[in-house]
Formats: sequence, structure tokens, C-alpha cells
Amino acid sequence: MKLNERSVAHYATCDSPPDKTGFLFKKGERNTAYHRRWFVLKGNMLFYFEERDSREPIGVIVLEGCTVELCESTEEFAFAIKFDCAKARVYKMAAENQAAMESWVKALSRASFDYMRLVVKELERQLEEIQEAAGGSFVGAGVGNLQGRPKSSKRNHMGRSRSGASSSSSSSSSISSSSSSVPPMSASFSAQKNQQDELQLISGPSKENGVAWSKPPAALANGFVEGASSCAVWESSGDPANVTGYGADGARAPPVPPRRKGASLESPVCPGTGCFSKLHDWYGKEVEELRVQWLQSQ
Amino acid sequence: MRFNEKELVLLSRQPSERAAELGMRGPKKGDVVKKRLVKLVVNFLFYFRTDEEEPIGALLLEQCRVEREDSQTFSIAFLDEAERKYVFECDTEEQCAEWIDSIIKASYEFMRKNLIFYRTEIHRLTGKDPLEQYGISDEARFQVSNGRPLVARDTSSL
Repeated sequence: MKLNERSVAHYATCDSPPDKTGFLFKKGERNTAYHRRWFVLKGNMLFYFEERDSREPIGVIVLEGCTVELCESTEEFAFAIKFDCAKARVYKMAAENQAAMESWVKALSRASFDYMRLVVKELERQLEEIQEAAGGSFVGAGVGNLQGRPKSSKRNHMGRSRSGASSSSSSSSSISSSSSSVPPMSASFSAQKNQQDELQLISGPSKENGVAWSKPPAALANGFVEGASSCAVWESSGDPANVTGYGADGARAPPVPPRRKGASLESPVCPGTGCFSKLHDWYGKEVEELRVQWLQSQ
Repeated sequence: MRFNEKELVLLSRQPSERAAELGMRGPKKGDVVKKRLVKLVVNFLFYFRTDEEEPIGALLLEQCRVEREDSQTFSIAFLDEAERKYVFECDTEEQCAEWIDSIIKASYEFMRKNLIFYRTEIHRLTGKDPLEQYGISDEARFQVSNGRPLVARDTSSL
């Protein structure tokens, strides 16, 4: 199969910034000794040179679809680049020390185009959410009217989800008209079947009970400004009977009464609860009423 | 230059961003237009003879320029050899525009620029670095152009 080799080699040495460089030992194919080579990682392409100042690479390993593993070897600090195809060559490598090995393994396992695409998509989604939340009630970054109502068209929660896994519900990355300054990103990237696995790679603690802990922007759209601490935002998935959220330091927030079916952020009973603090108060009142009822029934 | 051909062929079989039969002309003088199945997978453009399983060739789409040649034709040229153009003939203007758009967005470098943009913008609006939660904020490839790391700033006055 042909490849535009001259241009690929040029890519290796052109002034686009490399993602990682360094010496590694590479096990030869025919000559099975380990040879010290200068490696340059750019995107999903791992180039190797005879010497650090060689003008052209000896070769390149296309990293798309590979897995990187630590491996058994006579060499210390060894790892392998493997591919999931029949008779695929296993590239055995060795670093010069533990730190270098860990650093390379980390860099290589995240070098795929797919990984980059996921991260970009996630950030794009986050920015969209922030702009949506901000654009709904106040202009610019000032603390606007405190009674402002957030745009709750798509979702009835604000802020963004911490866990990457939760973003599967908002699969579309269509750019809203408010974000005219965002460079156009095609929303048509095909979903890869290993997307879920990749998301596990980048997400932190996963959701519990269908609730994602969200870090809101510094000033919520409703004007309720939280300082350095976070506020937990409840996301209903169905009608969870028991929903818990987590604060910034992992401390559990108290459970919230189940959300009524069809409830918008503004309670039909208590208007003006678009503001989170008011909603919080209203729920508090509801809990108090339930307690009174229960006590009376004793 | 050696490259892992088997793995690249495997990559050509993965789900593609875009695939179609186009007329393709090579960059050498005397090359003629031939019907090829052209398939865009990550940052590679593979081209096959129709109904063949293994691609004839692959083009890595980094450091390249995509240009509209006429209403239904676009070209790809690589920056190191700007005069050598691969030319692609589409069936419609719309198809041509879609291919151009897809190829421009198919490079790792393009994605990197977007990522840096989103990261900077989110930081500007929230005071927080969105990559921190993934533990990748220090990676060289995500650094903003001024080379300085993004630091959380006090936004309590916002």
C-alpha cells in the first residue's frame, strides 16, 4: 500500500510542536537486539530516528487503534505497543528509567485521534452549556438581576456534568447560535463503538444513582453566586426515589425529595423558584410539611 | 521510511467519517483521472479500486492544504511539495463542499487548535481549567500558545 511518505516524513521534522520526544530502546524485527532510537510523537504518529539530529526518520508507527501495555522482558522498564489485527507486529520498547516508561506509556495510550476527538467534543459541549446558561439571563459577566430565569429548554439542571459518561445523554454537539465565536466543528463525527471505553479513560468518578455532580460556573445564571465551594445540582433520570449528590470534597449532601414528574425548574406551586436558592427553600418547606404530617400520624 | 502497513490497512477498514466514489487524479504529470473509492478515517484518506478490500494507498492529512479547483473539484497538496496536487472530482457542488470541510477538520492539528480554543474560553468564563478533572492539563500538546499553564483565578466578583 502506498503512503505519501515524503510528506509524512516532513511532518515529523516540520515545526509543528511534538507531543513528546526522547530516547527509547526499540526491539528490532530481524535483529532482535534493542536499539536506541530518538522518538518523536506527533498526534497519532510515532516517528523514530537513528540519532537525535537525524534529518529523516527511519520509520513511523501509526498508533491509531493500538494498546500500550507493560510487558515481560529481559529489559528493564519495558512496554509494548500492540494492535488488534491478525499477525500484527508487537513493538517492544524499553525506557531508560521508571519515570520515562510511565510517561511514555501514558502519552502513547492517549495518542489516538479518537481520544483527542472525545476530549474536544466534551469541551465543546461544556462550553455550549456554559454559554447557554450564561446567555439566558445576564449579559456579560456582571451579577445581573437576581430573579433571572435560566434557559431550561433542554435540561432541567445547570452546570456541566463531571463524569464523561454522563455526556452520552447529550450526544448531539450541534452548536447553538449564541456561540458564533466558536470555530465550526462538524457534528458528524461517527460514533466509534469503543467510545464508551474511551470515556471511562477520561472520566473521573462515575455517577451514582443517576446523578452527576456538577461544577457550576462561578455565577449561576439565576444570579445565585456560590463562592469557592460547589453546589450540588440534581439531575433527574426517571424518578429516583433516593438521590444523593456530592460536594467538592466528596462530602455527601442530604438527599432531596423526589422530583415530581414533569416538574420544571420552576415549581407550579411556588412560582419564582427558578432561582435555585428559592427552590432549595421550597423543598425545605416541603420536607418540613412532610415531617409534620408524619408526626401527626403517630 | 518504514511504516506499519498491516495496521494501516486495518485502519482503512474502520468506520469512516466519509466515503464515496470519486474521480481521483494523482500528482504526477501524466496522471489521469480514475474512479476510486475514497474513504476518510481519522486523519487518513484511503483510496481503493472499487470493490477491492485492500486500499491502493493512503494519504496522511497533516500539513496539507485543501483547495477548491472548480465547482465540483477539490485538491489536496502537501506543504512540503505544494505544486504536487491530488485532485478529486465529485458528483455535485454540495458533495465537493462537504469533502473539503471534512478533510480540513480531519487533522490532528486542527483538533488541537480547537481544544486549546475551548480550553481557553472555558477558563476565561469560569476561571477553571476544564482539563484538570481529566488529569491531562499538563500535557504538552494541550498547552495554550503563550506556553503558560492555565491557573484558576478568583472569579467571585463575576
